[in-house]
Amino acid sequence: MKAPVSWLREFADLPASASVAGIAERIAGVGFEVAGLEGEVIDFEITANRPDCLSIRGLAREAAAAYGVQGPAVLGSGGPAVLGSGVPVTIESDLCGRYALALADVKVGASPAWLANRLAACGVRPSNNVVDVTNYVMLETGQPLHAFDVARLAGPEIRVRMARAGETLTTLDGQARTLDAAMLVIADRDRAVAVAGVMGGAPSEVSASTTRIALESAYFQPAPVRAASKRMGLKTEASSRFERGADPAAAVTALARALDLFEQIGAGRRVGGVTDVHPAPVAGRTVTLQRAPLDRLLGDVVPDADVARILASLGFVAAPAAGGWDVRVPTWRVDVAREADLIEEVGRHWGVNRVPATFPALHTAPRRSNAAVLRARRIRRLLCGAGLQEAVTFTFIEQAAASLFVAEPASLVSIANPLSEKFAVLRPSMLPGLLDALVYNRRRDLDDVRLFEAGAVFSTAGERQRVGWVLCGARLAHWSQPPAAVDLYDALGVAGVLTEAYTLACHTEPATDAPWFVPGRAAAVIADCGTGPQRIGTVGQLRPEIVDARGLSAGIVIAGELDVDVLRDTTVAGRRVTPLPRHPAAIRDLSILIDAGLPAAAVRATIRAHAPASLVEVREFDRYQGKGIPDGQISLSVRLTFQERDRTLTDAEVQQAVEIIVDALAGTHGAALRH
Amino acid sequence: MADDSVERLQQQFEAEAPSARTPAEIKALRDKWLGRKNGALTELVKSIASKQPAERQSLGAASNALKKLAEQILDAQLANALAAAPPRDALDVTLPARRPALGRRHPLTQVRERVEDIFMAMGYQVISGPEIEDDWHNFEALNMPAEHPARDMQDTLYLSSPVPVPDGGRAATLLRTHTSGMQIRYMEQHEPPVRIIAPGRVYRRDQFDATHTPMFTQVEGLVVDEGISLGDLKGTLNAFAEEFFDARVATRFRPSFFPYTEPSAELDVECQGCSGRGCHLCKHTGWIEILGCGMVHPAVFDAVGYDSTRFTGFAFGMGIERLALRLYGVDDIRMFYENDLRFLEQVSL
Repeated sequence: MKAPVSWLREFADLPASASVAGIAERIAGVGFEVAGLEGEVIDFEITANRPDCLSIRGLAREAAAAYGVQGPAVLGSGGPAVLGSGVPVTIESDLCGRYALALADVKVGASPAWLANRLAACGVRPSNNVVDVTNYVMLETGQPLHAFDVARLAGPEIRVRMARAGETLTTLDGQARTLDAAMLVIADRDRAVAVAGVMGGAPSEVSASTTRIALESAYFQPAPVRAASKRMGLKTEASSRFERGADPAAAVTALARALDLFEQIGAGRRVGGVTDVHPAPVAGRTVTLQRAPLDRLLGDVVPDADVARILASLGFVAAPAAGGWDVRVPTWRVDVAREADLIEEVGRHWGVNRVPATFPALHTAPRRSNAAVLRARRIRRLLCGAGLQEAVTFTFIEQAAASLFVAEPASLVSIANPLSEKFAVLRPSMLPGLLDALVYNRRRDLDDVRLFEAGAVFSTAGERQRVGWVLCGARLAHWSQPPAAVDLYDALGVAGVLTEAYTLACHTEPATDAPWFVPGRAAAVIADCGTGPQRIGTVGQLRPEIVDARGLSAGIVIAGELDVDVLRDTTVAGRRVTPLPRHPAAIRDLSILIDAGLPAAAVRATIRAHAPASLVEVREFDRYQGKGIPDGQISLSVRLTFQERDRTLTDAEVQQAVEIIVDALAGTHGAALRH
Repeated sequence: MADDSVERLQQQFEAEAPSARTPAEIKALRDKWLGRKNGALTELVKSIASKQPAERQSLGAASNALKKLAEQILDAQLANALAAAPPRDALDVTLPARRPALGRRHPLTQVRERVEDIFMAMGYQVISGPEIEDDWHNFEALNMPAEHPARDMQDTLYLSSPVPVPDGGRAATLLRTHTSGMQIRYMEQHEPPVRIIAPGRVYRRDQFDATHTPMFTQVEGLVVDEGISLGDLKGTLNAFAEEFFDARVATRFRPSFFPYTEPSAELDVECQGCSGRGCHLCKHTGWIEILGCGMVHPAVFDAVGYDSTRFTGFAFGMGIERLALRLYGVDDIRMFYENDLRFLEQVSL
């Protein structure tokens, strides 16, 4: 709301010495942020709860209260002297609380310069003197007015009713609109002539040939005006006031003010009296303000005299009552309904900055933070320590990018009103965003990229917490050795850091259900939970087509994702250590020739199945394929560690165990011992 | 006269000797002074023969002593030089190290955790909650019924169809516009006293440009107990500002409006760029707005079943991106979402 200081001064006795900047700062201090300042015009931001300050009088009242000077007189007292305009008005819906109408003979022309200049200063484009007066009065009082050309009204009569299904109206902006039955309209005898509280119709618009107008000043319920304005995508000066709440008491006085102005500038003259249909006059609210809650909420004691002064200066009528005041709320303060609202009024003009700062006492022991919060913090630290950089990517992504990372496209969650196609669906996976971030860096000649992100992913089944990571380039570039590119096992190691940190025993299996990974280069991470095996993640090499499509050619990108909801913190509680063994271990290395397609896990399982309980560890330490090894076979070397807690193993028993294992491997897998 | 010349030569030698550090330099010095052909001291000894017999003895003794001294000094210097020379298998310690790979937390995470840590130290509990919400938790329970004009302040992104939530509650229909929904959930499940911090991503239908993003990070706080006052809110936030900016910063509270608090205010801190004198960072006002706050509206207590005649509380909320812009001196918010390693690697480990 733009307010020229000279206009404010018409309604508030602001000190002559006060500068424009000073006045701006003083009003800002009571809750009206200054968006701009140009010459003597201050642009205030009016919060949604204060429609009364979408007017010069409202702002002048706040200014006067802030300065402790006389403010504007109450608008709304004093009705019209002559009743009845001669135009019949019927209200058929309770969405209209009041409808006042007066006729005037007008001489349409240009407005005087002072009036046109004020409108322009307030950002309203001057039109003709009739329309300008309605706008002027709206800016001054906050009450929107509308003028119809009486010659264009069938009847002439006014009916305030719901629109008929399929009814059409060309509004003042030239748009032909089809109305719906939930919209309140102003109609003449035959058809709709305005959308109530939003915009008038072009057919009854005041034009150069208009000689008599019907001037409307009404009160409409906020919700339907807002709904109609949203449905039509039409926000007007009138709708923004009605949808926040106009002052029902101001309708007739604003009308009178406009009629006076017509005469004052020679634009026209009232004809007859005023029709005022007011089916349900609002009963002013009375709210009790108690001293104890006032002191308690503010944490400060505002003296009685100051409470009374502040409330009075804002138009409240405060009558002392037991333990406080009974406060009559002025009709324009639609935002004040309960005690806390009055406490805010007192606090605002007493000055929040004057309230002494205190510190709240702690009455109970603080509670531990949410497990999910602590887990996310720990995951971030673990992965940063493991050499990955944290990324933050958008939660919503392109449909096409998301579709590549789901098995079932119907499971994507889409946004009904996305900002653009780039932000159309909620991410089903961390990988599309991470891949974009990786590509962004590769395009800038950063070759070795290791990124991770922890956050929510979405499907039609709901929201889940995940961590994802992408790797490309060299494992650890250093001048001492030729660069070795990252591979699947690097990404599996990242999963291992997390599962080990949360003491979750896991194994891997080939994954065939993740089509975004290269076939044969994807692993499912399966946790061996107490309740049985549970799939918790997938790791693999991204398909080159997917990487290329993001604009990075020939890049090998390894990626992984893990559901983190299964990671439960057991760091301190429940982690007992086992006593260290006191007898030496016996170590035997075996190299066997097996089919290249036989998974190491199968070899391990056979060894474990046939070994005595003294076998404490099986670990692969070499895998070789090539010269000296028959086609289709590999040489796999495993280290077996045997140990007993209570004694030293003899060579003979270890040898016996190894022989049994070698026989089992030969029998089960046709494995030959390599010498 | 003769003694004088020996003494001068000795001074000259002693001045020159220390500058010869490498074996090659020492050899050059040795040749210059002790060389068989033109060595300065060799020449001196040779010249004795041409002197008067009376001088010979003293001059001879002095010259030989100087020669011996020079040899001793040069030998010692050579020994030192050889001892200091690197062995054959020496490593070039000036080559780059093989540093273990290290990642950094994202700057937005660092700022968010800094805020969380400050309040955790004050006894707050950090909570989490869903990013997709239902209308009740995001709006209605926060005193924003349908068609409330305040909903315009938070232009909302809606889901095409409802998505179920884990606790079997109302299905999610929108992307949360603030983290306040978490606070409602918490109050629905816990009795006062409440002292919580609710951080997380929030979403608004805003353009993506240098100063706006459709997704940003928010940290909200809530305290509910008997006797919580506006003064407590001020004291708490002043303490926070001091910790966060690691300095005694001036603060100012400006009345404002939020549907879920009454009274409501915005907190400005003195601009760190100009110490309040006015600069481009603070648009020449000397103040930077950092958060919105207020006393919990009784309608919110009514919605969660708290007795608003017995309990009062305060709430506050801040945008992490805006704090991070100030802290890192960044002027384009999009930098936080590009994930450019050259940017991310500039923040602390």
